[in-house]
Amino acid sequence: MIFDFRVFLGQSFDGTQQTTAALLSGMDDLKIEKALVCPFKPISYDLNEANTWLATQITQAPDRLVGAARIDPWHPGAIAHLRRAFETLRFRACYLDPWEESFRIDKDRLSPLMEVLQTYRAPLLVAAGFPWVSEALQVQKLAARWPEVSIVMSNGGQINISGLGQADVTLAMAVSPNLYIDTAGVYRQDFIEETVQTFGAYRVLFGSGAPIFDQRYEIMRIRLAKVSDAERTALQTENARRLIEE
Amino acid sequence: MIIDSHAHIDLAESWGWFDPPETLLPLMDEAQIDQAIVMTYRDATKPDDPATLYVQAAVERFPERFIGYIRVNPNAPGAVEAVDQAIGDFKMKGIKLHPVSYVGFPYGEATLRVIRRAAEYNAPVLFHTGDESLALPEEVAQAASLVPQARVILAHMGGYFNCEAVLQIGKELPNILVDTSAVPYPWMIRKAIDTLGIERVLFGSDGPGCLPALEVEKVRLAGLRKEEEDQVFFANIRRILAEVRHDL
Repeated sequence: MIFDFRVFLGQSFDGTQQTTAALLSGMDDLKIEKALVCPFKPISYDLNEANTWLATQITQAPDRLVGAARIDPWHPGAIAHLRRAFETLRFRACYLDPWEESFRIDKDRLSPLMEVLQTYRAPLLVAAGFPWVSEALQVQKLAARWPEVSIVMSNGGQINISGLGQADVTLAMAVSPNLYIDTAGVYRQDFIEETVQTFGAYRVLFGSGAPIFDQRYEIMRIRLAKVSDAERTALQTENARRLIEE
Repeated sequence: MIIDSHAHIDLAESWGWFDPPETLLPLMDEAQIDQAIVMTYRDATKPDDPATLYVQAAVERFPERFIGYIRVNPNAPGAVEAVDQAIGDFKMKGIKLHPVSYVGFPYGEATLRVIRRAAEYNAPVLFHTGDESLALPEEVAQAASLVPQARVILAHMGGYFNCEAVLQIGKELPNILVDTSAVPYPWMIRKAIDTLGIERVLFGSDGPGCLPALEVEKVRLAGLRKEEEDQVFFANIRRILAEVRHDL
């Protein structure tokens, strides 16, 4: 069983899109059984509407798709939107994108949202590694304030093809045990392997970031990684299930 | 056949990356890569620089598997002489520039001087590109436009967010090529070929940190015809290397 901890559905304001049928077909081809789905930011910029739409898509494959509520912390109704996502839409996680929604991940403004996540024991998925707003040590400050909330940094916590962001991720994960990374697009495969060795396989999750990244290629990142079979199982299955079921 | 046009060997304490030839070779075997162009993570500053000698020693030990490039800091007073030694005496085939590593503007005079020297040898200039200042494709393009006789390879196709910019620039500057290393989008390889022409796209892994087998699979996923794969995997870089001269 393979669990992809980050895919997107819908149509983004920038034109990127993925239909539910295409996602499920691709998952079938790759033997991916489950996925945590986040909505794209639509051209309307209405994330609450996007979450509602996402819930209708999940009904097409409720045993395979798990919803993550995308929240805009600037929106006056953000807290209500998140509560509604958990109570009415039955979502199991929250997705924050500081880059597209334009906020620093360590802002105090996020505290009420984090309280909700703590109450519902739901993980937070952060679009991480973006300059100025979600570098690993900025995410770590949030993680330090909310140690009971599991926070998954996308893209290995760093988007830097020089490799200069990796040391910060390692430092952040050493300081905050509630920090995790997903594997989408990570520069240097050995960074994934070293993170597994240093912190344990339970801190790393397979997340493809599809369709921004190619799910076919991203699953190969896991299949070819120099880790043990048990570690691979943790990366691609157990960790996601544990975070969601908690 | 596969020739990897961008791989590393080095023991680089400052980066925390320790990748001797013995790390790279089995990963090349796993990926069925016949030969790799190797360079250090460190930037040479002078003739007989330990970084250059490290590559030279590896090429001498594994002449069937490795082809050497010198990675050089153009700001160093001995940079041009280091290039002369590497290409003229050691028969290395090109130079690698990583402006983020040595902190230098790609279009600065010191860098242009080194690029001009490489061009005299017909030696390719492999430029690190990415999403941060000093490595932006627009900055490297400025250098390429000022030395049109140089063959400038943009590694990583601009990284995560600058791929389209690389292709736009490549349309304007015929002396620009790209390598496929580390860029995380298989479809971008197809787009690069369609935009720049098949002769200007080179397979590179940036291994061993970037797993060579994974980098090969990326090209396989790009939907190329067999003859296109052959060009990308070895024919293009082989043609470029054959044109390098070792005396001036």
